[in-house]
Amino acid sequence: MSGKEQRISPIILHIKNISKEYKGSDSITQPIFDGLDLKIKEGEFVTIIGKSGCGKSTLLNIVAGLDKSFSGEVIVEDKPVKSTSQDRIVIFQENALFPWLNVVQNIEFGLRQAGVRKERRRDLAMNYLNMVGLSDFGDANVHELSGGMKQRVSIARALSLDPKILLMDEPFAALDIHTRQSLCSELLRIHDETNKTILFVTHNIDEAVLLGDRVILLSHSVGKIKREFTVNIPRPRDLEDVAIRDIVSEVMDEIMESSYENKELSYATAISI
Amino acid sequence: MQLPFQSKQVQLRKNHRKIDFKDAASTAAFIVIFLGIWEVIFLLGIFPIVSLPSPLMVAQSLIDLISDGTLIYSTAVTLLRLFIGFSASIIIGVGVGLAMVKFRQFGKTMNSFAVGLQSFPSIAWVPFAILLIGLNDSGILFVVIMSSVFSIMISTYSGIRNIPPIYVRSAHNMGAKGISLFRHVMLPAATPSLIVGIRQGWSFAWHALVGAEMLITTLVGLGYILSVGREFSNMPQIIAAMIVIFTIGWIFDRLVFSKLDERVRDRWGLNQHTER
Repeated sequence: MSGKEQRISPIILHIKNISKEYKGSDSITQPIFDGLDLKIKEGEFVTIIGKSGCGKSTLLNIVAGLDKSFSGEVIVEDKPVKSTSQDRIVIFQENALFPWLNVVQNIEFGLRQAGVRKERRRDLAMNYLNMVGLSDFGDANVHELSGGMKQRVSIARALSLDPKILLMDEPFAALDIHTRQSLCSELLRIHDETNKTILFVTHNIDEAVLLGDRVILLSHSVGKIKREFTVNIPRPRDLEDVAIRDIVSEVMDEIMESSYENKELSYATAISI
Repeated sequence: MQLPFQSKQVQLRKNHRKIDFKDAASTAAFIVIFLGIWEVIFLLGIFPIVSLPSPLMVAQSLIDLISDGTLIYSTAVTLLRLFIGFSASIIIGVGVGLAMVKFRQFGKTMNSFAVGLQSFPSIAWVPFAILLIGLNDSGILFVVIMSSVFSIMISTYSGIRNIPPIYVRSAHNMGAKGISLFRHVMLPAATPSLIVGIRQGWSFAWHALVGAEMLITTLVGLGYILSVGREFSNMPQIIAAMIVIFTIGWIFDRLVFSKLDERVRDRWGLNQHTER
């Protein structure tokens, strides 16, 4: 993202003073968020990292309107939102495509919910399938696709609804390294073409730094943002790049530090969060 | 990436056809051997001829029953009863099943009763049906419905409860609510389980129907042909009717339910472990 665009971009999403507690079965309550606050600009690509159980996915669900038991506000374009809407679409880690529909019907599903006319749906769906390079697979059944192809369809399904914000919940975590890399660069290309705002949750530090304009480190123990890193390096980025390596090790140090404070993580678990 | 996917598809279809032919041949061989053993036992004269007729005598009786119209009329009536009773079962079973999902406490309680009633012997409903409703078609339908409705109810209930939450979340996220969510997500997602329940319900309904037709005599139906055969010690007629009953059950299972099941399994990819 160039500096010019950042200057004029308005705030599209404000996660305002969110608090949430986890209530266990044995009436033990544990805070997940304690006054978390985050502002995201239009067109910005923000990655969120943190160890498992720190509430990364919960945060996405709150923004999506799928999780309603929290205090605070989610504000999209200056309006507080209370429920799900096609302007905030989640791409889940596990495959959330419907197995009873074929690939193109899966994409049409959301379009039908959006009230798009029948004749338009097929064209739109094929357009977006083309965008993710799967135009030959419209008639395939979901189980016939590889993991990477399924996630491409999920991305196409989300984009077809023209959401304001894409919420990605560890979308590439279950993929092998090569598929992951090619999907990452494809996602960057799509981000470039569509200029969508993306909130991307991951537990992979490299991925977070390679993709994000900003990397948000969540801390479980505090229930807040532990630290924020701005990655002011043009994309596509290279892991071998010194500037990138610096940021990655900075993030790593921060995680290590907090884990020593907590005395609960070994070095090994810290680097693999 | 593209090629292996397509060629695999083609291969799968070819395999299907080959297996079908092999199946048909082995079924035919099985029938021939069965008839052969039957004929041998008949020729050995182990049982008196009234107790065990030859396959030819049964075939003759079958032809007689067909040519005088009895069999066709009885089969039609029996199938009509099956169709009405089973349709009612599906409507009631799915309806109550949905109510069980909607009202959780009712669902829990009803489920435990339904599981018990599912294994309740269908013939045991007959005396109750006769005194409550009488010796008529409605009595038969009552027995059919009571025998099959609980399987369908349970499979609807568990099918919907066991839908992976990710499908519902994803649908919610795309704006699906209410009727649309039910019609386009819940119902198709529960289909594999529903098919199992409907298949089992069908089999229970069929058992119950023939039994009820024998005991609740309405002077027509395949079960009635059986009981007339018994009264007149007409073994060829009894066996002929048994063959027809078997064939109907077999045709329904093979041609309707297996195909339905197969189609859903293909689309969902539930056959992969056996086909690969």
